[in-house]
Amino acid sequence: MKAGTNASRVAAAKGVAFSKSPVLAVRLPDWRSRVVLFVLFSAFLALAGRALWLQGVSNRFLQKQGASRYERTLELPATRGKIFDRNGIVLASSLPVKAVWAIPDDVKESSSAKLRELAQLLDMPQAELLKKLDSDRTFVYLKRQVEMDVIAKIEKLGIDGIDTRKEYKRYYPQGDVMAHIVGFTNVEDVGQEGIELAQQKNLVGQTGSRRVIKDRLGRIVEDVGLSREPHDGKDITLSVDSKLQYIAYNSVKDAVEKFHAKAGAAVVLDVHTGEVLALTNWPTYNPNDRSHLTGEQLRNRVITDTFEPGSTLKPFTVALALDKGLIKPTTLFDTGNGRYQTGGHTIRDTHPHGVIDVSTIIQKSSNIGTTKISELLTAQDMWEMFTKVGFGQAPRYGFPGAAAGRVRPYKSWPIVAKANMSFGQGISMSLLQLAHAWLIFARDGDIIPLSFQKVTEKPVGQQIISAKTAAQIRTMVESVVSPQGTAAQAQVAGYRVGGKTGTAQKVINGRYSQTHYVGSFAGIAPMSNPRFIIAVMIDDPSGPFHTGGAVAAPTFAALAANALRAANVPPDSTVTDIIIPEHPLEESN
Amino acid sequence: MSGKLNVVLTTLLVGCALSVVNARYQARHLFIDQERLQQQQRQLEIDWAQLQLDQSTLGKNERIEQIARSQLDMAPLSPARTQYLMEGGK
Repeated sequence: MKAGTNASRVAAAKGVAFSKSPVLAVRLPDWRSRVVLFVLFSAFLALAGRALWLQGVSNRFLQKQGASRYERTLELPATRGKIFDRNGIVLASSLPVKAVWAIPDDVKESSSAKLRELAQLLDMPQAELLKKLDSDRTFVYLKRQVEMDVIAKIEKLGIDGIDTRKEYKRYYPQGDVMAHIVGFTNVEDVGQEGIELAQQKNLVGQTGSRRVIKDRLGRIVEDVGLSREPHDGKDITLSVDSKLQYIAYNSVKDAVEKFHAKAGAAVVLDVHTGEVLALTNWPTYNPNDRSHLTGEQLRNRVITDTFEPGSTLKPFTVALALDKGLIKPTTLFDTGNGRYQTGGHTIRDTHPHGVIDVSTIIQKSSNIGTTKISELLTAQDMWEMFTKVGFGQAPRYGFPGAAAGRVRPYKSWPIVAKANMSFGQGISMSLLQLAHAWLIFARDGDIIPLSFQKVTEKPVGQQIISAKTAAQIRTMVESVVSPQGTAAQAQVAGYRVGGKTGTAQKVINGRYSQTHYVGSFAGIAPMSNPRFIIAVMIDDPSGPFHTGGAVAAPTFAALAANALRAANVPPDSTVTDIIIPEHPLEESN
Repeated sequence: MSGKLNVVLTTLLVGCALSVVNARYQARHLFIDQERLQQQQRQLEIDWAQLQLDQSTLGKNERIEQIARSQLDMAPLSPARTQYLMEGGK
């Protein structure tokens, strides 16, 4: 164009406008500009199309990529529920700690001085630390559950490739005293024993998550999308009373040491609510430090072990006969000279008692007496009685590993079974089952479910025997604790108590051992208004004493005396001097 | 007429835009406050759990008995040397 005007000006100056000639005019063909225009236009169109495509249609990929550059998903950890005793004292609680982990390749470049310091902080030999770091893996835990103050020091060291991860550690402030009830969790916060295992579902929380936008400095700027709230695990309030538990623990521990026994156990039940107030075992363990844990320590003899209870079962036979109206407390039986033949077997008493009434049969723990009473009963009635109070039945305590015990079906009972079972042989149960069944005597003949958790509602009972029978049995078992009975050592100063001893020979290799015994005692305290059922078991006492009356009864007395005092139960007896005969009556079984 | 309307609408638009900016600003501030308070809440919960643990550890019956016996020279009471005051004067 410009060239054209110049040319025409030049030409005009000379008078001849040659460029005016259409023939000479420099002209590009029209189609070329159109092509350029078209190409440019379609290029823009393609750009617009692509932009539209990315913006509108196939935008998911890019949005995801973008989001991943500024959005983060945060895990919101949930705390495991706490476990309390009935008075709100913490028995188990989780606190945040951190796990220390490493990327071995990155750590190798650090100075050995720093690594030495790290090993010291982690409380492990340096060789062990180096061994852990000498690994092909990209992720190695150096130590789990390190407490926060140590973590702060480790972070100060600033070693490359060492990082921490948040986790929780479970603490058991009451330690070995509560170990067999509360149990413990493993490093992954999963319950392994006791209530921690039984209530795992309720205790464990639900982790939440939230999606946030973080700024350059890593601060949270905004929430995006839906966040899932974390739900902390439920707190659980147990029925156990720390004070009673401690008393029971001490009594059992002292008894095991005093009588050189292999083990011991005790359980305390609340008569009115069916709550387990104390449950203790010796040997025990410290749940906070389980590095030297053995099976013996772990064993919960109250719940998972069964034993033949021996004479502690006699009151059940007598109660059944009383309830059926077959006998009265004053009915006389001839126990003869201490030997009695039945079904080809000889039943023995340790002392000949002659003609005695039913009350005295219980007081002196006469095997022949209960055998004669059992002869009045049918096998079916006895079996029904045992089954109704829970023997041989899978217990529903909400506690892991609870043993059911064994009661053979009555149709397959041999002839002597009735006699044997009347004094607690040929039938097995856990100490907890025994204590539970004793509720029918402490209450007015009814049985209520046991509970390991605090009971708020009044439980509904199932009547097993009449209230009158229960009262009669209570009178009888109180006489057991008198100086004339088999358990004089179970007397408690200031309180009326009652109970029944049991000495069972242990079954070793399928035969009754003559040297290994389990001494037990189940009792009620105080008698005037029953509050506790206390059952004690001393396993394999190897000192001069081995009977229930000699080993379990004094343990019961020590436990009951302190428990009644601790629970502020007013004394119901003015007797403060305990008379224990020099040669206490030994029970036969 | 239409010019006036435009001016009014434009002012309105600018006003709205500014209030959006302000609202965002406020929201950020409140969000940060909330974050901080939540953090504080979590810390307090941890402290509470720690204190409960301490209470339980220090209040352990074993420890109390040991201190009572060894440091304070105390002995458990027994009914033999206790005078019980009952309702009704028994």
